[in-house]
Amino acid sequence: MKPLKPMNARRLENFRANRRGYFSLWIFLCIFLVTLFAEVIANDKPLVIQHDGEFYSPVFMTYPETTFGGDFPTEADYRDPFIIEQIEATGGWILWPLIPYAHDTINFNLNVPAPSPPTTDNWLGTDDQGRDVLARAIYGFRISVLFGLVLTLFSSIVGVAAGAVQGYFGGTTDLLFQRFIEIWSGLPVLFLLIILASIVEPNFWWLLGIMLLFSWMALVGVVRAEFLRARNFDYVRAARALGVSDITIMYRHILPNAMVATVTFLPFILNGSITTLTALDFIGFGLPPGSASLGELLNQGKANMQAPWLGLTAFSVLAIMLSLLIFIGEAVRDAFDPRKTFR
Amino acid sequence: MSLLEIENLSVSFGEGNREVEAVRGVSLSLDKGETAALVGESGSGKSVTALSVMRLLPYPLAHHPSGSIKFAGEEIMDAPESHMRQLRGDRMAMIFQEPLNSLNPLHCIEKQISEVLLVHKAMTSAMARDRVEELMTLVGLQDQISRLGNLPHEFSGGQQQRVMIAMALANEPDLLIADEPTTAVDVTIQAQLLDLLKDLQEKLDMALLLITHDLSVVRHMADTVSVMNAGRIVEQGAAADIFERPQDTYTKTLLAAEPKGAPMPADASAPDLISGEDIKVWFPIKRGIIGRTVDHVKAVDGVSLTVKRGHTLGVVGESGSGKSTLARALLRLEKSDGSIKLEDSQLQGRDASELRPLRKRMQIVFQDPFGSLSPRQSVGQIVGEGLVVHGIGGSEEERRTLIADTLKEVGLEPEMMDRYPHEFSGGQRQRISIARALVLKPDFIIMDEPTSALDMSVQAQIVELLRDLQERHGLTYLFISHDLKVVRAVAHDIVVMRDGKIVEQGPAADVFARPQQAYTRALMAAALEMKADDTGVVGI
Repeated sequence: MKPLKPMNARRLENFRANRRGYFSLWIFLCIFLVTLFAEVIANDKPLVIQHDGEFYSPVFMTYPETTFGGDFPTEADYRDPFIIEQIEATGGWILWPLIPYAHDTINFNLNVPAPSPPTTDNWLGTDDQGRDVLARAIYGFRISVLFGLVLTLFSSIVGVAAGAVQGYFGGTTDLLFQRFIEIWSGLPVLFLLIILASIVEPNFWWLLGIMLLFSWMALVGVVRAEFLRARNFDYVRAARALGVSDITIMYRHILPNAMVATVTFLPFILNGSITTLTALDFIGFGLPPGSASLGELLNQGKANMQAPWLGLTAFSVLAIMLSLLIFIGEAVRDAFDPRKTFR
Repeated sequence: MSLLEIENLSVSFGEGNREVEAVRGVSLSLDKGETAALVGESGSGKSVTALSVMRLLPYPLAHHPSGSIKFAGEEIMDAPESHMRQLRGDRMAMIFQEPLNSLNPLHCIEKQISEVLLVHKAMTSAMARDRVEELMTLVGLQDQISRLGNLPHEFSGGQQQRVMIAMALANEPDLLIADEPTTAVDVTIQAQLLDLLKDLQEKLDMALLLITHDLSVVRHMADTVSVMNAGRIVEQGAAADIFERPQDTYTKTLLAAEPKGAPMPADASAPDLISGEDIKVWFPIKRGIIGRTVDHVKAVDGVSLTVKRGHTLGVVGESGSGKSTLARALLRLEKSDGSIKLEDSQLQGRDASELRPLRKRMQIVFQDPFGSLSPRQSVGQIVGEGLVVHGIGGSEEERRTLIADTLKEVGLEPEMMDRYPHEFSGGQRQRISIARALVLKPDFIIMDEPTSALDMSVQAQIVELLRDLQERHGLTYLFISHDLKVVRAVAHDIVVMRDGKIVEQGPAADVFARPQQAYTRALMAAALEMKADDTGVVGI
């Protein structure tokens, strides 16, 4: 591995020195990594089945019911007692994931009406449609974080580019762009989302696109300020005197300076994106019905006050996720702060 | 018993392996009515020593492993903070280097001067008002009393520094610490301020602790001198003794470091390399809703000059006289009117791509060695950027050889290519800047205050290097500086600028020996002999 530049080594050291942020990063990475493999942790399809001396892995492959002695050519329902009986009758066995429910699996064997309280079967209980809350929390965490990451990535690319152009060229370009941003940011985002949601069926990518239309403005201010400052630096002048083109100067000389401000902002934009998605889900204009979503779980908690495990779970998952990200963000900010000294 | 007695003072920052020893075992004593100078290069610990007397260091990050500071016989090293507050501003006061940064931009100057009176003397505001007027007269700002309600930025640099002095003197302190009080102002103002300080010291019988890197200031002001290097006092004694018979080798190098010598003789019949005619850079002042242009700031106002091949043209003037703007206009880094010719090619009216082949022939070196190198690029990348842009040296290998050769030429090691700017000292960075300009083998280089941000001893080396490079490559320089000593050491011809116009121009020897204009004479007297102007050509 290439040795780190001294500046980056110092940053890493500063990042580590913030113990809370450093451990938060590890905890967050562990949880995120685990939820990335949600399909093998919480699923209504077994990991491995031995049947008639052969091995099957329903998590990764689709098998028709006839494979296991059923009647239909459609995919087997592995929770069906008949199928289980068929497999076990031939001396086969089934290896279930840790949580034998997917986010949309309905547990029909409840002893009490849904939402049912936590049992050894459903560790965090079920929601009002009999779906396992823990499985939904795991899938919900994953989709929230992924949504946040993708939205953050795209909005920073757009935001940095827009801020760079404004700051570097200044003058009229800057003036027009700024007025445009002022008008654009005055649009009522929520109502637009509601109107758009009635025109198109909002899925993950639609929501991402619509929110990107408005979220890119967060970074423009800081990046513009950095570029406005740096374009008068002597090394930029020197580059211009050498005949370097504008694009190259922006990319090679100024952008690295603006990156510090950008990176510092990223965790907070990420948090904002996640919260927005949750809020939309909560009022029912978010992800399509049936998808695992923390906002929907919160809404169910509100509707079923007699079932506190719904609200508590959604709240804890959100609170832990957002706090971890904020702690990481603080540590990143420390790491990039040149004046920070640790005692 | 002396007024101030510092004994074996040490200051450290941080702890463990991050500990930095800034001051190690400094002893110093200062009497009423006496001036002691602390001299040294940047980072030698002079300011930290002064700040520990005021106990203004960032405690507890900073701490004193040893030492004692006695003020009027009383140990103040471990005095409680409340007691220190009584001393500060009342019996000891301080003036800082950058006047605009040391004055609160949101308070009028009357409020700032009277604050210290209200805090320490419990005066009524009417009494304070009278005292403020008295102080303004004392520091030579009697004409400005009507402007007491104005904010700091409405005053000039010299006036701001006088306001700072008025603040410091408000309670007639016994000890005044001046930390580089004249570094941020022009030479003409510097001479006035030093005269004022000397005068006030006699009137009030103060002790003055003067911190500076400028030996000519010390020679002018100090009774005793302590030379500091790397946190230690290497030599201490009466000013006259140290200037006449320096004992320590470091003191000797410091004294010998002033730029000396004269430029190499140049061929007077050489053809013009660059010529500008009636160059104007006017910045519009806009007013009103529709941004009507009501007036212009005339940064450069009709300047014509020519530089002959192989010659150095020195451009001198105070800050704000338009020197740097002129330099940027000549390179087309700033929009301007008038004709600019490099030999026979007109530069005006070309677009970026038409200008690029000519950019190779003219380069610029800037003042601030910290700001002019991109902190995130290695030295090799910085120096090699121009090669890439102009497609010189086909392969990576060839380019590296060219870069290595150029680095050697400016006195750096080729191995430094893969290191980053922050690993280098100010002087080395300035060499890298020069290498970046030189690698393209230009004909013409503009030096925009290349030595002003450097320590004295390094200045001389850079001047030496520039002269050497000029001789070897037949380079043509436009050398901008406010420092007449440096200009005298390099320039064949001189242009004196003021308010965007040329006041006087001619061969350097003539201008230095027989300045024709009153302004030029005032400038020379202030810069070379520290004599304040009394003809009224230079304002406060």
